[in-house]
Amino acid sequence: MSDYDVIVIGAGNGGLTAAAMLAQNGLKVLILERHNIPGGSATTFCRGRFEFEVALHQLSGLGTAEQPGPLRSLLGKLKVLEDLSFVEMTDLYRVFIPGKLDLTLPTDRAGVITTLQSRFPREKEAISKFFDLIYSYAIELYSFFRESNPSSGQFPTLKRYAFKNAKEVLDQFFTDPLLKAVLGSYWSFIGLTPDRLPFSYLAICFFGYIEMKPCHIKGGSQSLSNAILNRFLSWGGEARFNCGVKKIMVEKGSVKGVVTEQGDEIKSKFVVSNASKISTFVELLDPEYIPHEMLFDMRGRTTSPSGFCLYMGLDCEPGELGINAATNFILPDEDISGKHFNGIKTLDTKNNAVAFSCYDVADPEFSPPGTCQISLVTLKYAEPWLRLPPTQYAREKYRCAEAMILQMEKICPNVRAHIEEVEVATPLTFMHYLGTPEGSVYGFEQYMKDTLFFQAPRISSINGLFMAGGWVADCGFEPTLKSGTSAAGTILRQLK
Amino acid sequence: MNPLLNREHLPLAQSYVSSNKINKGDTMKEACIKEFENYNDVVREIEICRKYGRDYTIEKGMVEKFINRLHPAQMKLKVADVIAETSSASTLRLVSENGYLPPFQAGQYVSISLEAGGIRTSRPYSISSPPNQTGYYDLTIKRVEDGLISNHLLDHVKRNDFLTCSGPTGNFYHNPLFHSRSMVCIAGGSGITPFMSMIQEIADCGLNLNVILLYGNRTLEEAIFHNRLNAISNRFNNIRYYPVLETPPKGYKGYTGFITAQLIKNAVGDPTDKTFYICGPQGIYDFCIPELTQMGVLKKKIRTEVYAPSSELITDQPGWPKNVNSDDQFKVKMNNGKTFSVRAGEPLLKSLEKNGIVVPSQCRAGQCSYCRVKIVSGKVFQPEGTPVRRSDSRFGYVHSCVSYPLENLEILI
Repeated sequence: MSDYDVIVIGAGNGGLTAAAMLAQNGLKVLILERHNIPGGSATTFCRGRFEFEVALHQLSGLGTAEQPGPLRSLLGKLKVLEDLSFVEMTDLYRVFIPGKLDLTLPTDRAGVITTLQSRFPREKEAISKFFDLIYSYAIELYSFFRESNPSSGQFPTLKRYAFKNAKEVLDQFFTDPLLKAVLGSYWSFIGLTPDRLPFSYLAICFFGYIEMKPCHIKGGSQSLSNAILNRFLSWGGEARFNCGVKKIMVEKGSVKGVVTEQGDEIKSKFVVSNASKISTFVELLDPEYIPHEMLFDMRGRTTSPSGFCLYMGLDCEPGELGINAATNFILPDEDISGKHFNGIKTLDTKNNAVAFSCYDVADPEFSPPGTCQISLVTLKYAEPWLRLPPTQYAREKYRCAEAMILQMEKICPNVRAHIEEVEVATPLTFMHYLGTPEGSVYGFEQYMKDTLFFQAPRISSINGLFMAGGWVADCGFEPTLKSGTSAAGTILRQLK
Repeated sequence: MNPLLNREHLPLAQSYVSSNKINKGDTMKEACIKEFENYNDVVREIEICRKYGRDYTIEKGMVEKFINRLHPAQMKLKVADVIAETSSASTLRLVSENGYLPPFQAGQYVSISLEAGGIRTSRPYSISSPPNQTGYYDLTIKRVEDGLISNHLLDHVKRNDFLTCSGPTGNFYHNPLFHSRSMVCIAGGSGITPFMSMIQEIADCGLNLNVILLYGNRTLEEAIFHNRLNAISNRFNNIRYYPVLETPPKGYKGYTGFITAQLIKNAVGDPTDKTFYICGPQGIYDFCIPELTQMGVLKKKIRTEVYAPSSELITDQPGWPKNVNSDDQFKVKMNNGKTFSVRAGEPLLKSLEKNGIVVPSQCRAGQCSYCRVKIVSGKVFQPEGTPVRRSDSRFGYVHSCVSYPLENLEILI
C-alpha cells in the first residue's frame, strides 16, 4: 500500500536527523527537499575563492570526546562523527561598545569571572554570585526535566527565577550598566532584548557554552548536512532534491502521503515535516484537516525575526584588522532596557546592535591562506522589507549594508579596503531560501510564555504527522538536530 | 544558536492537548511549575496573546507571493518583439502577461528553459535592457557556430511565442559596497549585453558612476548596439565607448587588434581605483586577465561574468589526464537504473540532457551549483578553480555542467 514507511518533508537539520535515524533502524524513508542541496540554514555557498558559512555561529552541546555533550552523543549514534572535525572556539565573545568598553570573555568559568572582576572590581562579589546562580539554575533545570517525580521544594532557584527576564536578574545583581550590557549581549543573537529575554535562555547560553564550549565545524555547517545525508543514503534512504511538497494527504484523521509540486502522489503512513509549523498546517493541509488545537496554540505565538547579513571575504588575515575573537558583539551603547528592540523592527540598520563571527580566528584553514571571512549579522523583522516596492529593493539593501559596514568600522577601521567578495542577505533572502513566514530564522519567538515550561503540543491530532525543526520547540543547531531524532524516536516507538 | 536542553520528556505544563499528557511525571511537573513565582502572570499573558493573537490561516500563500515578486522560480514570458541588431544578432523583447516583471541588477541574467532538437535544456542570457525599464526584458542573442540554442532562438522564436525562464540571477553587477565608482568594462562579441544594461541605467538614472567601455569585435558591423553606444557616449561625459576591431577597414582610426595592457593603459590611464569587468567568449578572459594583472590590477578588482573553459579545448586544461582523449566513451549508470554512454569531451550535464535526464541548471559555467549531482563511483574532470563546496567534493558531488567523464560512472540525482 505505502510507497515508503516515512516521508520527510525538508532536509534541514531536523529533517535530516529524523530521516537518518529512521533509515538506520531499517525503515524505508524518502526525503523531499525543494532546494538542490541539503541543510536548510545549515549550509554554505561559494563566491570567488570563499566558501561562506550561512548560519552557524557557535555550535553548542558538543563537549569533548572524553566528556561528550548531548549533541556529540546524538551525532555519534548517527555515525557521522568520523566524517566531521570540530574546532573549539577560544573565546565566548568580545563585546565592543564604542568609546566605552572592549572586553573579550574566555570560555572557562574562572576565566570569565576574573576577566569581568578585573574590569569591574567594585562588583567583584556580585560577579561570582551571578555565575553561581547561572550554574545552580541550569543544573536545577536539567534535573527538573529529567526528574520523573519532581516536587517544587527540590528546585528553589527555578521557583524564584524561572519566570524572570534577563534584565530583572541583571538589575538585581549589578549596578554598573556596562557590566549588565556585557552579560546581556547574547540578546543580539537571540533577538529579544534583555527586558524580554527569559533569564532561562541567558543562563543556558552561559552554562552550555562554558561547560561544553562553543564550537565550529571544519568546512562549515554544510559538512554536517552532507555527512548526515551521506549516512542516510548509505542506510538505503532515498532523497529527491528540487522537489517540493505541495500537500499532505489526510484520510480519516490519518496521514496518507504527500503530493509533490510536480503532482506526484507518494503514499506513506508517516510524515515528518521539517517545514515551518505554519506552512505545515496552513499551506500543506487542506483547511478541513487543520487541527484546531494547533491553530489555537499558534495563535498566541509570534514569528521570530529574520536577519540582515553581510557575508564578507577579506583579503587579509584577521589579525591585520585587530580581530582576535571569533564571536563579536558591537553594541551601540549599554542600554538593556528594550530601547534597541526598535532597531529590530526598522528597515534601517543604522546604529543597530550587530554581531559578527570570524571563523578564521579559531580555524585558520577556514578561508584560503592570507584571507578570512566575516559573517556580520543583525536581526530584523521582515515586515518593513515586505512593504518595500520591489524596484527599491536593491537600493535599500545596499544602503542598509553600508550602515552595517560603518558599524563594523568602529571596531575595524580598515575593513572596507580589504573586501574581496561580499554578499548581502536580507529578510527577503531568508524568506526565499527557507520558505518561512516572514523569513523567520528561529521559528516562533521565545518569550517567557513560549519557552521551556510552556511547550507547544508536539503531537498533532492527525495520526502519523510529526514535526521537526526550529518551530517545534527551541531553535538553533543543537535543538533542531535533536528535534529530528525525537520525532524519529516517537515513530519508532509507535511502530513497535 | 542558543544551546538547549535535552528534553525528551516534554511536553509539559500547559500542553493544551490532554492526549499529550504522557505520564504522571508530567502532571507532577505541571504542579511544580504552578508554584513558580510569577506563574499566574505568564499564564494570563498566554491567554491574552491567544485572545488577540494572529490567525495564520488568513496568510495562506503569502510567502510565495512575496517571493515571486523578487525571485520567482519560473516565469512564462511572451515575446513582444524581435528586433534585428546586426546581421548575426537579434533582441528578443520579453514581456509578462500580467504586466509585472521582477526587478534585477544591471548585469544579471535569466536562464531560458526550452526543448530544441529533441533535447530539454537551458541557457543563461544576460538582460540587455536596463533595470529602470520595468516593462520588458531584452535578451540579445548572437548566432554562433554550432550554437544549438542561440541559433534555435534566432531561427524559430517569433513574436507572440512564449518562453519559460528563471527569475533574474547572477553576480556580475556593480556592487556599490566595494567596487570603484570608475568602471572599466571589457566586452567581446555578445558579451556586450550586461554592459548595455549597466550603461543605459547609468545614463537614464544619472548614476554617479564613470564607465569606460572597450568592446572587441572582428568588424564594426558586428558590434552590437554600436550606434546606440556612440550616441550615449557622445551625450554623457561619464560614459566613454571605444570599439576595438580585430580586422579594421583601411584607414580606421580607432583601437585595433587585441585588448592589450598597452591599449587599456591608453584608453583608461591610471588603473588604480578602478574596477574592471570582463564579459565575452573564453578568449577574452584568457587574454585580458593576464594583461590586467601585468598592469598591477588586483585580482579582486577584476570582476568576470561566469565562464567555463570551452569543451573543444577541455583536454588542454591543466590537470586533464594524458591517457584520456576527448572522444573516449564511458558508460554512465543512473540511480534509476538507466544506462547510456557518454563522451569524455562533453560536459556531463549535456550528456544527461541528451539522454532525457533533466537536471536543473542556471549558469552552466560551474559557478551556481544548481546542476550538482553525486558521483557514486568513477572519476570526472572539473577545471581548476571550479567553486565546489569543500564538503561537496568530499562526498562526491560535482557541478555537472563543467564535469567531464574520465571513467565509467555511477550517478545519483
